[in-house]
Order: sequence, then structure tokens, then C-alpha cells
Amino acid sequence: MAERLAPWQGVVMLVRDVVEHGSRAVEKLQVETARLPFALLEAVPGVGEPARLVHAAHDVIISTTHRGIRFAGRVLASAVVAAQNDDHLD
Amino acid sequence: MATRAELALGILNGLLGGHLQRTRNPLATEMALYLNGRRIEMSLNALRSAYPSASTRVVVLVHGLMATEHHFTYGDGGGDTDYGRLLARDFATTPVYVRYNSGQPIVESGAQLSSLLGQLVGAWPVPIEELILVGHSMGGLVIRAACHAASVGQTPWLALVRRAFYLGTPLRGAPLERVGRVVARVLRAIDDPYTRLVAEVADLRSDGIKDLGDARHPVPLLPSITHFLVAGAVSARSILAETIGDSMVPVSSATHGAVSPEHVAVLVGVNHNLLARHPRVYERLKAWLSD
Repeated sequence: MAERLAPWQGVVMLVRDVVEHGSRAVEKLQVETARLPFALLEAVPGVGEPARLVHAAHDVIISTTHRGIRFAGRVLASAVVAAQNDDHLD
Repeated sequence: MATRAELALGILNGLLGGHLQRTRNPLATEMALYLNGRRIEMSLNALRSAYPSASTRVVVLVHGLMATEHHFTYGDGGGDTDYGRLLARDFATTPVYVRYNSGQPIVESGAQLSSLLGQLVGAWPVPIEELILVGHSMGGLVIRAACHAASVGQTPWLALVRRAFYLGTPLRGAPLERVGRVVARVLRAIDDPYTRLVAEVADLRSDGIKDLGDARHPVPLLPSITHFLVAGAVSARSILAETIGDSMVPVSSATHGAVSPEHVAVLVGVNHNLLARHPRVYERLKAWLSD
């Protein structure tokens, strides 16, 4: 039974890793993509200061969202593995 | 016959084997002998039960990248067969099939194969007189690495190896992987987040794949063994044989290190995958083993 469970746990671990790495990559991409337009706006007199604030808020929101996604992925993976183990013990 | 899950696992291990191993993922294949899709434990009882008529001459078959031992199987009109079964019929040998994580570094696979063969020799039901090694593609590099590891560690099984067969083995690397490296480097150098992301995804390919690009492997073919090299060529034209070879490995790479031209066969019309399961390849193996 444990041998039968192992591949499924492996799949869950792999999906968790894909979510983890994928989220990090997309987070980096979103932050880097926004950098240039914000830099241009930040250089405009009068708009620079508010643009800097929006930029910082943008980066925080993106970072928080992706941390949430990664945390949810980890929690979900642990829950699925635990549920499988419980089924196995029952 | 391989199940879809076995095929998928073979491909997954080839692609991400290093990651699976590092994260201790149960999907990472542990090197072992397999027979009819089942893992054989390295104990006298398990080997005796799996091989009731075990011979003193054992043929060890090692598959290539993203494959399993099923890759050697082909139909010969009267059902499925493979080089191992045909050699058993024609030379009274016993075939054993190695399955491993083809995405881990080749040196590591070689060390594991060396250890596995040591256990095999110790637990085999009858004293082994000869070990015949057959590797397809990366499997040949794993064999070469295992022999090297055994020679360094002075492991006794090496003395039982007199002949090794390499089928489409990139002994001087595979240009396709080298092209991949260059493309990834160029993409990484471009100052754009999207191209950098593509480069990062490309860099996720396994250590095993990356090792295939090395033109100067640090491990030599041991002079104490007679090495037989089989290369495929999709075309008889020399320029195509040199650049494309069997579609993955150029002829010069698959035949690199040959001591005698009599130990080299270039089969025109046989592509890289077919080298693992082609009647013409078997005819060559049979002729060489008959000598």
C-alpha cells in the first residue's frame, strides 16, 4: 500500500515544486516588467513622487500575492499527503 | 510491454531527475535491475527466483536518456523481443536490465552501476564467468563511467568484463545539447525579463542532459576491455553523417575511441532510437560475439 501511495505523493510534491518555482519566476517577471514604465514615470517632474509610491505598493502587492500562492501550495500539498496517509492507515 | 506510467516516469526522470533526487521525490527512479516491469532485489533468493536458469555469462543492458529497459523491446514477427533475449537464445547468456534515473549526473549513475554490478556478482545464483555490457546512448556513457569507477576502486566485477557494446553513445558529446547551451546563454544575456525567463526554463533540464553536451569526457574507455561501437546514420552522405549522424549523435562521436575499425559498425538508415531495437544492430552484436 505504501508503495502504491509513493508515486502519488511524488506527483503532489512535484506539483508543489512547480507552483513554488513558477510563482517565483512569474513574480520576478512582473516586478521586472513594471520597472521600466515606473522608472519613466518617476522621472517626470510632479508625477515622480506619487509614481514611486505606486511602484512600491505594486511591488508589495505582487510579492504578497505570490507568497500567498506559494504558502497555499505548500499547505495544500501537505494536506493531500496527510489525507493519503490517513486513508492508508484506515 | 511498458505501461504508460513507466514511460512517463522514464521521461520525467530524464528531464528533471536531478531535481527529483535532490528533493527526495519518490518519483526519482533508484537504480535497480528490472524484469518484466518488476524490480528485482539483490539477494540470492530473489535472483534465483527471477532467473531460474541463470547462466554463468550475464548480459547487462543499460538504457539511454528518458527511457526505461522497455526501450530495447521490439517485435520480430513472433512477439516481443530484445537484444538480451536474442543473445540468451543464441549464446546461452542471461540478460539483466538496468533501470535508473537518467537525469542524474552520468558520473553518479556510473558509480551506482558499479555498485550494482558488484552486488550482482556477489548474489548471482552461479559464479559469473563473463559480464557483457550493452548500453544505448547515455547507457553507454554510464557503462564507461561504471568501468572507470570500478577501476579506480579496484572492484572485482571489472575483471569479468571483456566486451562492452555502445549503441549510439555520444562518446564525444551530443552537439544538440551544446546548441541548447549556447541558445540558453544568448537568451540569458538579452536584457529582457521574458527571454531571461525562457532561459531559466531551459536551464531546468537535468544534469544528465547537460552532461551529454561534454565533448571531452574525463573518463577514458578502459584498455582492458574490447569496446564495440555502433553508430547510426540517417544518410550515407558524409557531411550528414558528421553533422546529424543518427539524428542525435554524429558518427564521429559514436565511434570515438575505437581501437580497431573491425570493432566499429556504421549502420546507414538506422536512427538514434532504433539503435536500441533493430535487427541489423543485433546481427552486428551476434557477429562480434561469435568471433
